[in-house]
Order: sequence, then structure tokens, then C-alpha cells
Amino acid sequence: MTFRYLPDVALADVAFEAEAGSLGELFESCALALTDIMVDPATLKPAVAREISLESDDADRLLYDFLTELIVAKDVDSLLFREYSVETAPDGRSLRATARGELIDRERHSLRNDVKAVTMHMFGIRHEGGRWMATVVLDI
Amino acid sequence: MAQTSSFKQLSDYSWEIPQSYKPGMNVPAKIYATRKLLEAMDTGVIEQVTNVACLPGIVRQAYAMADAHWGYGFPIGGVAAFDIEDGIISPGGIGFDINCGMRLIRTNLTYSEVKPKIKELVDLIFKLVPAGVGVKGFLRVSEPQFDEIMKYGVKWCAENGQAWEDDPAHVEEGGYIKGADPSKVSRQARTRGIDQLGTLGSGNHYLEVQVVDPARYFDQELARHFGIVQDDQVLVMIHCGSRGFGHQIGSDYLRVFDGAMKRHGIQVKDRELACAPFASKEGKDYYGAMVCAANMAFTNRQIIVQRVREAFSRTFHREAEALDMHLIYDVCHNVAKVERHSYEGKSADVLVHRKGATRSFGPGHPDIPAPYRGIGQPVIIGGSMETGSYLLVGSQKAMEETFGSTAHGSGRTMSRTAARREVHGAELQRRMLDRGIYVKAATMDGLAEEAGMAYKDISEVVETMDRAGISKKVVALRPIGNIKG
Repeated sequence: MTFRYLPDVALADVAFEAEAGSLGELFESCALALTDIMVDPATLKPAVAREISLESDDADRLLYDFLTELIVAKDVDSLLFREYSVETAPDGRSLRATARGELIDRERHSLRNDVKAVTMHMFGIRHEGGRWMATVVLDI
Repeated sequence: MAQTSSFKQLSDYSWEIPQSYKPGMNVPAKIYATRKLLEAMDTGVIEQVTNVACLPGIVRQAYAMADAHWGYGFPIGGVAAFDIEDGIISPGGIGFDINCGMRLIRTNLTYSEVKPKIKELVDLIFKLVPAGVGVKGFLRVSEPQFDEIMKYGVKWCAENGQAWEDDPAHVEEGGYIKGADPSKVSRQARTRGIDQLGTLGSGNHYLEVQVVDPARYFDQELARHFGIVQDDQVLVMIHCGSRGFGHQIGSDYLRVFDGAMKRHGIQVKDRELACAPFASKEGKDYYGAMVCAANMAFTNRQIIVQRVREAFSRTFHREAEALDMHLIYDVCHNVAKVERHSYEGKSADVLVHRKGATRSFGPGHPDIPAPYRGIGQPVIIGGSMETGSYLLVGSQKAMEETFGSTAHGSGRTMSRTAARREVHGAELQRRMLDRGIYVKAATMDGLAEEAGMAYKDISEVVETMDRAGISKKVVALRPIGNIKG
């Protein structure tokens, strides 16, 4: 499970590429990248668990919806997560996930950027040489 | 760097890219820039403005203003008008932060009065106007009240003790855009937005205490119309938008439009240009929801202004009314609106998309509030937090050339990561303090990312739009206190 930032893709925003051995792990990597953009994950505790179930038309849209769900949790429930466990269906059109984190605490958490949205720019999942990869650009 | 050899130079400040530049262009593209700005523009702008020129129903020209830079689908600093019957609407032509915009309020205080209290003042505003990741506002509204806000924006504020009597008239469209349809807003968007009224957000959003720059006090007569009467007068500028509410509406409809294009047989050159006919169900639904976000953004900035008035009042021990804290104006720079324009010998309603572009209506336009109608609409252009900002007025030439539109700001030239590598937030904060700017930031990383060196020179952008006759410089404002989300 890894991700790396692509600093030259969108000057005003943040782009990253994630890679993993399975689709579920790829979703976890993308979620960890999203967390890293919003907060220093080392300052978060996995105190609260949130179950997430989603269905979508295809794996790309499932990832779009999953990341959007995490952005919404930040705004609506003031929750940021640091651990993710994601199981995707074999057809890549549904998932069950557990996200662990805690309520935003401005004193204790080292907060970074507020993410507005997932964009469609370069967005997508690829399966190459047995590895799963995704490119994501977030609007900041 | 852009390859400009096939462009036709129209003047020292404008260029045309002919339809022959790219297959599928329905109209030419026009760029407002000096040769220097044009050559420095990223190639993405040329690619994107010519992609926009290919969209169905575009009329006259696709425009890139002097501050244009790469965006999602449309360039930021982009303007495009579409026929309301045959044309499209595109979330990519508006941006995720629907009705991100600028607000300027004046005071009758001078720099010498504010300087000794700037820290106290900025610290209090920072407390009263929540900023940063996932913040919630202090104003609590019920679901039915939130529906009213979506429909009536600052008019709702005026009827509910959240605005002064003359505030709505000093907001673009009189404080709310007509045509809001709350039934087209998703549950997720509602829950994201309902607690965020009166919050600044993060990224490039800011709240700034500014002072008139005597060296760049271009037109004192025009400035007088806005209540700017002395060369060390203090003003407050706010840059923010519709927060998570608008972002969610943008996300929801980007997904809807991604699927709708197939049904409508539309092909675009970039997935972020997803669009639907304005007259289609998807087009109408998005417009109804987008207007809700635009009205929420007007309200958000209004609630912030109320808190700023409170902070000044508490700091200077005078009522905000006695401090003459009237709203000069509020402009959108991410929006699409139906407006009546004259072009190609006719007068017609068109859907004008402005993404990182400001309305710049000229003198006499009926949509300009009465006190300013004779001089043109105030145009507020924000610079980086180190370089200052500008107040301009719209012009008749903008009505004739750009569907009454001009630039909006400076635009980044450096990535966030690169800016963080160049400077530490704490060091930047010290450096700014040495130059007389007290900054309070939600995060030090976020502060470093917004350093002045990461942005284009705003003065050249403003100068270009002024010399092109699209908007006229009134006064430059330099920061003395800044709150960074």
C-alpha cells in the first residue's frame, strides 16, 4: 500500500497516485492519501469506527463515491480517519469498509488542507502487471 | 510556454485564436494579455480555452482573461456565454466552489488608529470567523430556514437580523440569484452546508484588513462614490464561497453530467468539461441547485461581515454604524447566470459562465445599485496575501467585448508542495510582520502554501485589464492584517 504526490499536476490543488496489490488495498491507499492531505495522521487516534457500505456503477465511480463519503464525514460529523479496512466485491461495484479515527480537535491535531472535492481530472483506476493503480486530483 | 505564432494580435492587450486552430471550434477564442503575460501563460490555458470554444451553443467567443491559468475543464480566468435554447451548462465552467467571490467593506478608521490594535482586532476576528479544516459556523438554522437561505440569500439575512438595510442592494444580483430550486440539492450537500454559514474555509480563502495604498490611489473621484475618501483609510476584504455545500453540489452534478452526455449525444475533449443542454432536465436541475449554492455563498459572506462588524465594534468601542462599516460590494467569480447582452447586432438572454472571472458591468446598467449606476459596477480583484488587492469599476467596453466580464485575481505559478519547500509558515509569518502585516493562520503549512511568491504579479493582470478598457483601476489596497483559512 503506497501513494505518492504528483506536485506538478495541479498547481493550486493536490494530486496523488496510489498503488496496491488488490482493489480493496488500493481504496485504502487512496483514503490514506486523502487523510494525509487534511491532517498529520500521526496526530490522530483510531478512537471511533465508521462502517461504510457503497454501491456504484463501476470501480472508478465507487472510488469517487468512497472518497467523497470521507470528505463529507469531515464536514458533517467532524471526523477524520487514520485507519481503513476496505473489502471490494469481485466486480468492483460495491464495498464494505471500516474507517477508524476521531473527532477533529484543533489543539491536538496537526491540521493541513481542507479538501473541497474529488475531481475527474486524470481520475481513474488501472490494473497493470498484477498491480492496482489510481490517479486522483483533489480540489483544495 | 504557449506557442502563439498562429494567434492574431488584436491590440497590445488582446489576441484571437482563430477557429482553424483546432478541429471542432464553433467560435474563435480571445485572450486578454500583454505579450509578456501571454508568453508566460501555461499551455493548458490555450488548450482549455479552445476546448471551451468547441462546446455546443457557445456564442461569439471563448475568453481567457489576463489572470488565466489551468483549471478543471475550463481555464480559471475563463468566460463563455451560451445560447439558452441551443447551448449547454457545465459545472466545469463554474468550479466546485460555486459563487466563490469577494466582498469589500469600508470603515471610517485610519491606519494610524488601527495599527496599534491590529493584533487584538485580527485575533478577535479569528475567533469569531471559524477557518480551516472541517470548521462549523456559529449560526444555527433549521432545515426550512436553510431552504429560505438557498432561495433568498442576503434578502433572508436582512429579514432575519443578519444584515443592514442597504446590504442586499450592494451584492451582485441584489443579494440573491433567482431560480433556486432546493429540491434539486442532495441530502449530502444539505448536511455538509447547513452548519457552515459564517465560515471562511481554507486553501486560498482569506479575510484581510487593508489600507488604501496612497501610491496607487488611481482615481479619487471614483473612489469617493464607494465611500473611500482618504489615503490611509482602512477596509476589510473577504474571499470565500459556498463551502462544503457548493463543493458537494459540484461533485453530485459532475457525476450526473458524466452520464448525461451520452444520452444527449455530446462529446467533449476533456472529462471535466462534462455538460448538458441548459434546456434539458439535467441542465435545469443543476442550474436550480447551483443557484442555491450561489445564494448560500452570498449568505456565508454576509454572516462573516456581521462578525467582522462585531469585532471592530468590540475592539474600537464604537457601534459598527458609527464606524461607517457599509458594504461597498460583493461580487461572484465562480458562477453561471442568465443575463441579457447585446452581441452580433441583437439583444438576447445568454447563459454566461464565469470561472475565476468577475462581472464588470458598465455605467448605466440597471443591475448596478443606484449610487454606483453612473460610474459602473465595483470590481474586486484579490491578490496574494502579501501583495494586496484592487478595486476597479466595470466599463461599457466590457459590455461590448466580454459579456461584461473581467479578471478575478492573480493565479498560482508554484505548486503547494514547492511553496512549502521554499518557506516555512512561521518564517513567512515573521517576515510579513516585519513588513507590517499581522497574519493569523489556521495552519502553518497552509500559510506557507499561500506565500506571495507562489502567485503571479497581480499588478500586471490589473494593468492589462485596465489598458484593454475592460475594467478601470480605482484604488489598490495593501494588507495590514490577514486571516488565512
